Amino acid sequence: MLSFSSYFSVQYIFIFFPVVLVLYAVFPQKIRRIVLLLASFSFFWAVSGKLIIFMLLSIIGIHHAGLWISSLQKDCAHILETAQKGEKKQIKAYYQKKQRSAAAFCVAIHIGILLVLKYTPFFSVNINTLLEALNLPQVRIPAFALPIGISFYTMQAVSYIFDVYRQKISADRNMMRLALFMSFFPQLMEGPICRYNETAHRLWEAPKLQFHNFSLGMQRILFGVMKKVVIADRLNLFIKTVFTGYADYHGLTIAVAAVCYTIQLYMDFSGTMDLVIGTAQIFGIRLPENFRRPFFSKTISEFWQRWHITLGAWFKDYIFYPLSMSKPLKKLSSRARRRVGNHFGPLAAGSIALFCVWIANGLWHGAGWHYIFFGMYHFALILAGNIIEPAAARLTKFLHIRRTHFLWRCFQIVRTAILVCIGELFFRAHGLRAGLAMFKKIITDFSLDSQNIQSLFSLGMDKHDFLIAAIGVLIIFVISLLQENRIAVREQIARRGLIIRFSVCYALIMFIIIFGAYGTGYVPVDPIYATF
Amino acid sequence: MSVYIKRFVCMIVFAAGLIGILTASSFVFAPKNNMPQFGMEEVSANGILGERENSIDVLVLGDSEAYSSISPMQIFKDTGFTSYVCATAGQPLDYTVVMLHRAFEKQSPKIVILETDAIYRKISAKNAVISRLSAYFSIFRYHDRWKKLSWNDFKGTSNFTWTDDFKGYKYNAKVDGCTKTDHMQPTKTAAEIPARNIKYVKEIKEFCDANGAKLVFLSTPSTVNWNYPRHNGIEALASDLGCEYVDLNLMNDKVGIDWGKDTRDKGDHLNHAGAVKVTAFLSRYLKEKDLFTDHRQDNAFATWQRALKNYEAAVK
Repeated sequence: MLSFSSYFSVQYIFIFFPVVLVLYAVFPQKIRRIVLLLASFSFFWAVSGKLIIFMLLSIIGIHHAGLWISSLQKDCAHILETAQKGEKKQIKAYYQKKQRSAAAFCVAIHIGILLVLKYTPFFSVNINTLLEALNLPQVRIPAFALPIGISFYTMQAVSYIFDVYRQKISADRNMMRLALFMSFFPQLMEGPICRYNETAHRLWEAPKLQFHNFSLGMQRILFGVMKKVVIADRLNLFIKTVFTGYADYHGLTIAVAAVCYTIQLYMDFSGTMDLVIGTAQIFGIRLPENFRRPFFSKTISEFWQRWHITLGAWFKDYIFYPLSMSKPLKKLSSRARRRVGNHFGPLAAGSIALFCVWIANGLWHGAGWHYIFFGMYHFALILAGNIIEPAAARLTKFLHIRRTHFLWRCFQIVRTAILVCIGELFFRAHGLRAGLAMFKKIITDFSLDSQNIQSLFSLGMDKHDFLIAAIGVLIIFVISLLQENRIAVREQIARRGLIIRFSVCYALIMFIIIFGAYGTGYVPVDPIYATF
Repeated sequence: MSVYIKRFVCMIVFAAGLIGILTASSFVFAPKNNMPQFGMEEVSANGILGERENSIDVLVLGDSEAYSSISPMQIFKDTGFTSYVCATAGQPLDYTVVMLHRAFEKQSPKIVILETDAIYRKISAKNAVISRLSAYFSIFRYHDRWKKLSWNDFKGTSNFTWTDDFKGYKYNAKVDGCTKTDHMQPTKTAAEIPARNIKYVKEIKEFCDANGAKLVFLSTPSTVNWNYPRHNGIEALASDLGCEYVDLNLMNDKVGIDWGKDTRDKGDHLNHAGAVKVTAFLSRYLKEKDLFTDHRQDNAFATWQRALKNYEAAVK
């Protein structure tokens, strides 16, 4: 029986994926889609076993809710055709209310299941703290097993319902197609969070395997494995040591660990995304990108448009815009505009929607106060950025600083990266208290003396390990720089002759084999986002 | 030529090129001597590579239970038989197979003793695959040597010159006794052996049969790691494979372990006093087999006599 914990496990790479690929290649189109669906369910079963029931219930739920909302929309349109002019508004409102109830019911069930399974222990612990303070008896803390990818597929389900409700898409009568959209195995564990209109029909089409796609997909998979196994997993040795025993280390070590963790998280998550998107590309499916070179961002807002793009887009479409466009906030916005002007007026209303987005973002990542702090930290940075923008523009003009100048942009990029690293320190810390203590150490106990620098090389990584991690990061930086300048590296390689193409592949494979953090002395590290 | 044939040929050429690169890099990364400064892992266990050809009578495989309980120099002193303990801490069976193959490259022991604690140790799929790959391309085992590569690694040939005076045994005289001695409560329940491990044990058995060696399962005394369900599990496996099984945990009348004095960590492992008792039993057991000749007067084993002197001086 297959059982694996990640896309980097041997069973997945050497057994599951090749078997699915061969079956997909040998069967005709109508069967290929069934192969993908069965493979996806098998994958879910191999990771989460009986918890597949939650996924099945979700599929059945959104299928029925979608058809229900759709039938209400059709009924409404049908009645409106024959209705008197005066009645139309009333009929519209009546059906609108019914549709809203149907959508809200389905969304509430999905979010409810997620809340119960993922957040019950967190809420229970906090309720118990409160009860303890009031000298009242405590509640029992239940623990639930989480189905794999619940945070990801729940968002896909909610987006489907919303899009049907908004009539952006038609409800799908084909439950199998919907099931494949929800459970497509490469994206199940860590996303990207897809929209129905982006992937569902292409997946159901089950296109024929193409050598070109196979070649590009394999290249991207190798690139992802390199990021994960050579850089992220190697850095893990140092990061784990420092974050676990932070009290024993000085500010410099903690600052380096925060930077290393930021790099690890990026390499781990974007490496997994390369593997996911590369796998889908082999099947001829184009999944949305989740990263667009986030460390070239000049502001925190821009960073979140480049980091975990599909999550940010989801929050924007299904939380930020509906809230911003709601009647109370529109009213507040226009009132504030009259009082504090065109810049700060809409900002006041927008900040309420933004606050909700970042509370949701923090909680989505995990049930813990440090995750909420992480969300609030980014909310505060984005809000502060928006508030001071006019003043900053005036100041730079006064100082004759050209905002498009290369050095100014470099300054902005470095500043944003530092702010991101501070946020990730809290994100990785074992709780909010630990995060604050670590940050305090960076401020109060920071010294660049040679003894402190030397001690960095005795915490799970020696000089050679740091060097190879740095070379890996440099390679990624150069490739990112080329991509940032609109040079498609993989396509450029694909256009070259056989010897160059083979050499690049051999170099990548040997780089992974020689410098990968595996074998004796290394513990396999499961992808970080798979736990969210 | 059709496009499919062309692509197929490309794939074959690519695979052949990759195999060539892996073979060449394996040559570079493999340690050129069995000493730590040459990058050899598990040096004392790999000391067998430095032993004279066909000089070992008994090979012992297993984990820390094996290297804490069996002293080859004591066996040599008592019987004149030569043995080597190729045991490593937390040894998984995939590595046991590696050690078995390595030992048989130059040796032809007549008895292979497999300490049974390793049979219950779970092996991750990743490690199992890496072990398999390492058997063909040693770069998968020694890839981390990139930190210590020297010019000699690119031009030199392997020459294993070092061996361990203790022949794989790890001396530890610390006493930390235990009071819980009822670990062998009779039961009919059998502890399940992971399916992957059974495959490895079968592979070891087949290899021993093919090389004219007898495989013996041995459970050394341990109140922490051993119990009756495990005994039953191994007994069933031994019966399936037609192997002899000796469980010293049920033979304390013959071994005489005093759990108050003969353990270094509250019953988990034996200390030197315990190892002397187990080894004494093993010496008698090997004598009864009547398979080996006494090498104590043989000049070809002069290095063993010197090692024995060093050993006795160290454990005195």
